[in-house]
Amino acid sequence: MPKKIQSSALLREETGYVMQLQNFSVNDGEGIRTTIFLCGCPLHCIWCCNPENMAYRDKAHKMTLQEVEAVVSRQALFFRRCDGGITFSGGEATIQQGFLRSMTERFYDKGYKLSIETCGYFNFEQVRDILEKMDLIFFDLKLMDDRLHQSFTGVSNQIIKENLKKVGQLGIPLVVRIPVIVGVNAFENNIHATCSFLQKYVPEAKLEFLPYHKLGMDKYEKLGMPTPDEQYESIRKEDIAVSGFSFAARMTTPSEELLSAFSDIARAYHIDTISFR
Amino acid sequence: MITQRIEKIRLNYVNSKPCISTERAQLFTESHKKTEGKPVCIRRAQAFYDTCANLGVHIFEGELIVGAIGEFRKCGILTPEFSWKWVDREMDTFSDRAQDPYVMTKEQCEYVRKEIFPYWKGKSLEEAFLARLPEDTAKIGVDTGILDNDSKWRQAVGEVTPDYQDQLFPKGFGGIIREAEEKKAALSYADADSQEKMEFYDSVILTSKGIILYANRYADEAERLAKIEKDEKRRQELLVIASNCRKVPEHSPETFYEALQFMWFTQIGGILSENPLSLNPGRFDQYTDPYYEEDLAKKRITPEFAQELVDALWLKYSEWVWTISANTADYFAGYNQFQNLTVGGKKRDGSDGTNAMTYMALKATEETKTHQPGLSVRVHQDCPEEFMAAVTHLVSTGTGFPAIHNDSAGYQMLINAGYEPDDARDWNNCGCVVPHFRKTGEWTAAVNMNFGSAIEYALNEGKSLMTGKQMGLTEKPAAEFTSYGEVEEAFFRQFKNLCYHSIVLTTTAQRIHKEMVPRPFLSSCIEACMEKGVDLSKGGAKYNVGPVITGIGLAVTANSLAAVKKLVFEEQVCTMGELVQALRADWEGYEWLRKKAQAVPKYGNDDPYVDQIAVKIANFFYHEIHGYKDIFGAPFTTAFMGISNYIPMGRVLGATPCGRKCGEPSSEGVSPYVGSDTSTPLAAMRSAAKLNQEVHSGGTLLNLRLNQELVSTKRGQANLGATIQNFFSLGAFHVQFNTLSSKVLRAAQEKPEDYRDLLVRVAGYSTQFVNLSKSLQDAIIARTEHAEF
Repeated sequence: MPKKIQSSALLREETGYVMQLQNFSVNDGEGIRTTIFLCGCPLHCIWCCNPENMAYRDKAHKMTLQEVEAVVSRQALFFRRCDGGITFSGGEATIQQGFLRSMTERFYDKGYKLSIETCGYFNFEQVRDILEKMDLIFFDLKLMDDRLHQSFTGVSNQIIKENLKKVGQLGIPLVVRIPVIVGVNAFENNIHATCSFLQKYVPEAKLEFLPYHKLGMDKYEKLGMPTPDEQYESIRKEDIAVSGFSFAARMTTPSEELLSAFSDIARAYHIDTISFR
Repeated sequence: MITQRIEKIRLNYVNSKPCISTERAQLFTESHKKTEGKPVCIRRAQAFYDTCANLGVHIFEGELIVGAIGEFRKCGILTPEFSWKWVDREMDTFSDRAQDPYVMTKEQCEYVRKEIFPYWKGKSLEEAFLARLPEDTAKIGVDTGILDNDSKWRQAVGEVTPDYQDQLFPKGFGGIIREAEEKKAALSYADADSQEKMEFYDSVILTSKGIILYANRYADEAERLAKIEKDEKRRQELLVIASNCRKVPEHSPETFYEALQFMWFTQIGGILSENPLSLNPGRFDQYTDPYYEEDLAKKRITPEFAQELVDALWLKYSEWVWTISANTADYFAGYNQFQNLTVGGKKRDGSDGTNAMTYMALKATEETKTHQPGLSVRVHQDCPEEFMAAVTHLVSTGTGFPAIHNDSAGYQMLINAGYEPDDARDWNNCGCVVPHFRKTGEWTAAVNMNFGSAIEYALNEGKSLMTGKQMGLTEKPAAEFTSYGEVEEAFFRQFKNLCYHSIVLTTTAQRIHKEMVPRPFLSSCIEACMEKGVDLSKGGAKYNVGPVITGIGLAVTANSLAAVKKLVFEEQVCTMGELVQALRADWEGYEWLRKKAQAVPKYGNDDPYVDQIAVKIANFFYHEIHGYKDIFGAPFTTAFMGISNYIPMGRVLGATPCGRKCGEPSSEGVSPYVGSDTSTPLAAMRSAAKLNQEVHSGGTLLNLRLNQELVSTKRGQANLGATIQNFFSLGAFHVQFNTLSSKVLRAAQEKPEDYRDLLVRVAGYSTQFVNLSKSLQDAIIARTEHAEF
């Protein structure tokens, strides 16, 4: 077992890069929350609805802990009674480990309920202390097949799967999220593989299906980036043979029926599905 | 960090026993001998002036804020004009008494017996009160522990918040003299009404000149000391002190330092004039911060020196001792003067009022650990998190400070008492937990009423269980009650009778105060008295709020009625006759029944079965008391305050149906009975919040004990803050916490010398644990210690 890192040796930063502070956020955990979207992401998912977030260290988004606190403390009144609090999101929140830690410690001391949305791509021992202060962890598991995962997100899912096992050991309520995209991961084999993995390693976790949406597509054009559809087209050119997977004409939102069928699969593995919608 | 100077003064305060000075009594008496026949307000004012002119001047080592009431640093004074009899009876044993002992030498005792007391024989307030009190009221209301108002006839009233904002700071006593002279000039002595007003203004001119003279004598002394001082730094300090005392309180203060010295001179004036309890500094942060900010802007002060001055003022508040009878000391234990100082809360315009002084006040209490001032905070739902964090941090240090109050409940209480909204928003605390205001005349602790006695008389044919004497209304034998409804009716009949006598005690005292002890000095601190030319004791203030009757034993009473209801009439565990036999036997031989009684739901656990009885009693209390009017026509008000009164009130109470044994403490404020809040503090809070607290304009008090662990981390403190806010969102007014473990408290009982500065929350105030009698210490340890929310 890796040695626990001394608290004093851990990185803390008083400033960081914040894409957006979303007050009155109601879909990222219990109650009324303020979601802190941090800049930067190690993944490059082709469907990303915040492509501008992949960029990091953009001067325009620099904020101090105090500035974040000033916004949050005005909201704290509304956290009461509804079990609300703070959600750290991104990009990938753990990429700004030092700033995330400073915020987490401060808000923990203030008694706020904390949650984090993560893509799971991090060095677990470096962020363990941060995760331990969370009341709820959202953990994305986009695709079980590593080949597909690499194609669609740019990275291998090995670290992510290992981290999911470790996070499951923390004893903190855990929601595993799948952004369900027809033409990417919305096929039965993937759902079976996911549920089988969860059943084996994190049986307490709940599963949330997030149907793909096309919000933020116009951002790609503004940023001069290839659109998700264009990127999808170029991946199609790769020769990918994965059991049960086939390309669609383009990425689309799953039907209600499909989602309901996936929920049935999860039930067969004794995994509860959950929705914060 | 506390400075060395402050630490030295602090150690002296913690380690020395208070001594009685007879100087003020002597000067007051000598003066009165020369003014026989003159109007009483003039006589009292002249005596005050003579005292200011002749009292010894003492600048103690290292002092930054000066002014003493006698020759001792930790000092109490005597006010024989109110009562000399109890002093005569008790002074030989002052040093030995269990609660609040004082040092008074044999020579001092002999002197006052020979030279001072004989003059006051037949002339004191106490004698007049006792001579006039109707016999039936005297039987139940004089030194009985059933109804108690002895602090209103053995002592002065106090219970004033000087108006620094609109009266004292802008005018200074020099300005008050000019104002009085102008007012007088506009009146004609040929008019009978005007005569009285002119006398009032004359009395104010005398007391104002007195306090100015007193300050100038300190200036002289500081200059004298500066001349012989070898240490250059101290010499400079003495020169600043001299310049301060030349300027204030005659003129308006211009600096923060002068403002604080002004405040202390005002306090001195109050003490020398009547030895008051609850002479409240009020909203300290609101009226001192502008001076601090200006000093800071002009680079005349550093935050460190400002903090040292605040610390020094705190020690001054704590060094004078309220001299009281053994009986009063039982009710107000711990050398407490109840000088309540309030910080935080909304401003008159509704915006948040926290400022730099808010935090300095909290810090001063944490650093000096003085029992005075009684530090109160007002918390509103949108107060800065930083403020809430500072408040809960202070709670976590275990001092029992601050008393935490709900801003909007205080506002509502004042609105219900007839205040204008802007004034109501500007409230401060008086004494322990009474919402008050600086333009007010009010007896905020008029009578303590023992609710348990009403149960006792209902079930025991109107007689005391302990003495067998007929004290209440005649009642049929309890065995003849055939329904719970009948028991409740009997209880409320007895209860009403106690209310009636409480009113008689108060109005009798009010009339005598009006005749005998006008208050020129304190009247000059209240704007409207000056405008109207009417003394505070005669209703001169802008608001004359009805006297507060404090209910003691709400939990015991509600628990007892619930026990009768359940055991006798619902579950037929015993008959009414058996229950009464058990009470008469103090549960001896009825252990089985006592166990059943203890198992009946208890108030403080959010159990509607008993909570609704508590609500019914509280509502009845309010309506009954509110129906009476005082001598100024103001409706009486109610409170569930604390103080230490639940100890002596329990001492005269026989066993009660809730399972309590004879003589054991009753319950205080709206707190649960000790040890019976076995759920969580949240449940206790929910029970307390049901009581329509906002109608009890005299204040409500909830005492809780928390395990120190629970608030040892910042997150724990934040959770406490959220808990308090949620409690207040239910409409509750006040809560206070003890966070010291039983282990620490027991250790302090064993080795008091090691724990001299250990502060604990008693009820509505904090004081040194080692200064409490053993019985009160035990009562505090017995409270339930909650280990989780």
